Amino acid sequence: MDRVLIIDDDIELCELLAARMSDEGYEIEGVHDGIRGLERALSREHSLVVLDLMLPRMGGLEVLRRVREQSPIPVLILTARGEDVDRILGLEIGADDYLPKPFNPRELIARIRAILRRSVRLATGTHPLIVGDLRLDPAAREARMEGRLLSLTSVEFALLEMLMQHAGRIVTREELTEAVLGRKPGPFDRVVDVHVSNIRKKLGVSEGVERIKAVRGSGYLLVVRAEPR
Amino acid sequence: MKPPMPSLFLKIFLWFWTTAIVTGIALIVTFILGPGRVPSQWHSTLTDTARSSGMIALAELERGGASAASSYIESLERDTQLRACLFDMKGDAIAGKGCGTFNDLRSHAGTSRSPAFAVKYGLVRVALVLPGSGGHDYIFATELPAGPRAAFGMDRAAVLLRFAVAFFVSGLICYLLTLYITGPILRLREAAQHLAQGNLGARAASSIERRGDELGALGRDFNAMAARIEELISRQRQLIFDISHELRSPLARLNVALDLAREEKAGDLPFIHMESDLARLDEMIGRLLTIAKLDAAATPVQMSSVDLTVLVRRIAEDAGFEAHGRNVAIHVTAPDDCYALGNAELLQSAIENIVRNAIRYADTATSVDVSLEVDDRSNVLLAIRDHGRGVPEEDLGRIFQPFYRVAEARDRESGGAGLGLAIADRIIQVHRGTIRAENAQPSGLKVIIEMPGHEMSGNIRTQS
Repeated sequence: MDRVLIIDDDIELCELLAARMSDEGYEIEGVHDGIRGLERALSREHSLVVLDLMLPRMGGLEVLRRVREQSPIPVLILTARGEDVDRILGLEIGADDYLPKPFNPRELIARIRAILRRSVRLATGTHPLIVGDLRLDPAAREARMEGRLLSLTSVEFALLEMLMQHAGRIVTREELTEAVLGRKPGPFDRVVDVHVSNIRKKLGVSEGVERIKAVRGSGYLLVVRAEPR
Repeated sequence: MKPPMPSLFLKIFLWFWTTAIVTGIALIVTFILGPGRVPSQWHSTLTDTARSSGMIALAELERGGASAASSYIESLERDTQLRACLFDMKGDAIAGKGCGTFNDLRSHAGTSRSPAFAVKYGLVRVALVLPGSGGHDYIFATELPAGPRAAFGMDRAAVLLRFAVAFFVSGLICYLLTLYITGPILRLREAAQHLAQGNLGARAASSIERRGDELGALGRDFNAMAARIEELISRQRQLIFDISHELRSPLARLNVALDLAREEKAGDLPFIHMESDLARLDEMIGRLLTIAKLDAAATPVQMSSVDLTVLVRRIAEDAGFEAHGRNVAIHVTAPDDCYALGNAELLQSAIENIVRNAIRYADTATSVDVSLEVDDRSNVLLAIRDHGRGVPEEDLGRIFQPFYRVAEARDRESGGAGLGLAIADRIIQVHRGTIRAENAQPSGLKVIIEMPGHEMSGNIRTQS
């Protein structure tokens, strides 16, 4: 049974979600302030964290930042609608996906399920992928560049895996969103773009060229250098 | 420090008065101090006139002594208001009063032995040597009237100088006065413009506030007003923020509770209705908040270059499903690309609202025509036209008001309708564009958006 941590100051909402999600086979732990939430998120007892951004004692973004310093645990953030800046910031800091509040519980469950399924699939992954100086080992859940270990969140890992599997070919934004988030992208859905931009920052440039190229209007491709010198 | 004159009225009054007085004084001073020269063509006439008076005075002197000469000169002065004096060659006055004023002229005439001329107080003065019968010479000096031209002098340069003085003095004073009055007004105007542009912290400079006159009071009132507006708007922002949070918490809980109950009851019809009503409520709150935010200019909108062609085509595609359900086709005509400076999410919302509205009111088996074009002043024109019943002519202006509905037409199915066009209106305003509606021929409603286009240097933007 997957344990999901919900950090939200709305106690009743946490109770209702716990009741609703136990039907789906999830065990819910509700925490109602940021500091306690951070503590629990780092306890390694959960498979996923649902994090409200508006929290007492420590804001959700700060909690997320500190969690990411130590843990790649999947995080889904809840935002009040229209707070675009917070949403983008949350994704940049390393949240996997976001859901505007109020949300349909079925949507929440679907997203949680998609993220967890990806984690499981990764854990039982196959042989290592090698593209140029990049090496990704799904079984060991590690990615290396020039032999150096990359610190990627689980969603970034999944995206990079997808791009490496199709190295040199364009992978559309739709394909990427479906593969790593288990859903279709909404209009103006920039989640995948933010994640790709995070990966790019971590990879840096190779001989003055971005390793991941954006193809306007369609998607992204991992650049394969013709001949390694 | 308070200026001594408290009232702008008094200031303006005194400044103008001072201008008039100082200009006058300046003119008089130049008139008095100016070099008075007598035009040479008048010399002989003036000499003749002076000589005839002088000869009489001299004859009186030789006939009846100094007292006779004096009485003649006094009678002359009484009759003509012109003074005269008779001197001997040593320079002592023999007859006449106040003869000291003629000293310069007299000594000049005495040494050169020819007539001397001068102008003083608008009168010509002449001094000349007269031969007496006993071999003694005398000097006669007198004032003579001169015409206005003489008073001003015949010299063009002198005339110009006087005009220049008048121009310069009055001009300088008026310039200073204007500066003193309009300077603070212009600064106040600048502050008002900043405020209007949404910089709520804009205030009139403290130098205006410190003034003691009406402009100072205006500046202080302006600042009080700006502070009040800032307070009200920041309160409204807080309210919007609170509503957004407080209204949504119970909605979020209701959503979950309902879903929970529904799972147990296995999809009972009432639950389905409750769920769709909740979704409507949520959408409506979201839309109202959008309107409130746009009205309050609460958050500065982030603008970037948006390709409207891509946007419009995507909206048409998304709306296709809805349109298909009503057997309505969507036709888009647009150039290959068409850029505007704006916020893509807001613009999408505005255009989508209008398109969905058009689909909703289109007659079945007709089309919704979306046309996008750029006019020669590089304005973007977007027209969305349906073939429906249209809107009564007198209601056309009101369809952009929140919750406005054409009386009979609307059904409850429309959900958040009544807000869609109001939102579109606000969004287009934020983009410095205009939106209007007109009835198309033979029937149907046409909504036209006009907004400034944006030149996009042809490079293809890559994500970085």
